[in-house]
Amino acid sequence: MSLRKQTPSDFLKQIIGRPVVVKLNSGVDYRGVLACLDGYMNIAIEQTEEYVNGQLKNKYGDAFLRGNNAYSFLRLRPEQINSALRGEMGFKWGRNAAAVLYISTQKRKA
Amino acid sequence: LDATPAELVDKCIGSRIHIVMKTDKEIVGTLLGFDDFVNMVLEDVTEFEITPEGRRITKLDQILLNGNNITMRNPGQKPHEYGSTSL
Repeated sequence: MSLRKQTPSDFLKQIIGRPVVVKLNSGVDYRGVLACLDGYMNIAIEQTEEYVNGQLKNKYGDAFLRGNNAYSFLRLRPEQINSALRGEMGFKWGRNAAAVLYISTQKRKA
Repeated sequence: LDATPAELVDKCIGSRIHIVMKTDKEIVGTLLGFDDFVNMVLEDVTEFEITPEGRRITKLDQILLNGNNITMRNPGQKPHEYGSTSL
């Protein structure tokens, strides 16, 4: 098994466009193709499947996951805020300090 | 004796390490690298949940672990020897 040193930024550069699993602190799992991400681990995923307790619950064409507990600059109209909080727009906000627990490349799951 | 925590973590690159998260979860994997925020790139990862059943999820390949939720790590020890020790 070849082992090479790899920093987080190296990892992030090489996984764009690949199938990934993103796990949130809440335990919810998202699988899809990584569209883009930034240094705060905010993530955009395409063809997203949402798994809760290992069960497929939802599918989103596009999903945005917030990485860290930064103040959000996204401006929503008042009528959009409730649906965003309920996750209906494909937005998920973590309840704990950091929403994203890890980002994993997908080979297979146990 | 190593001067900085970063040097200590750097010594573990290439080894199996065991990481305890804030949310009663433990991650074991081979450390490939880390950054200033102690986000970690790990390979051949097993994820353990601290529940009575001891549910386990295994991911091969590589993960980037968010450093925000790490409470403690030590090299090589099996999770069940120490149980839940989150700070």
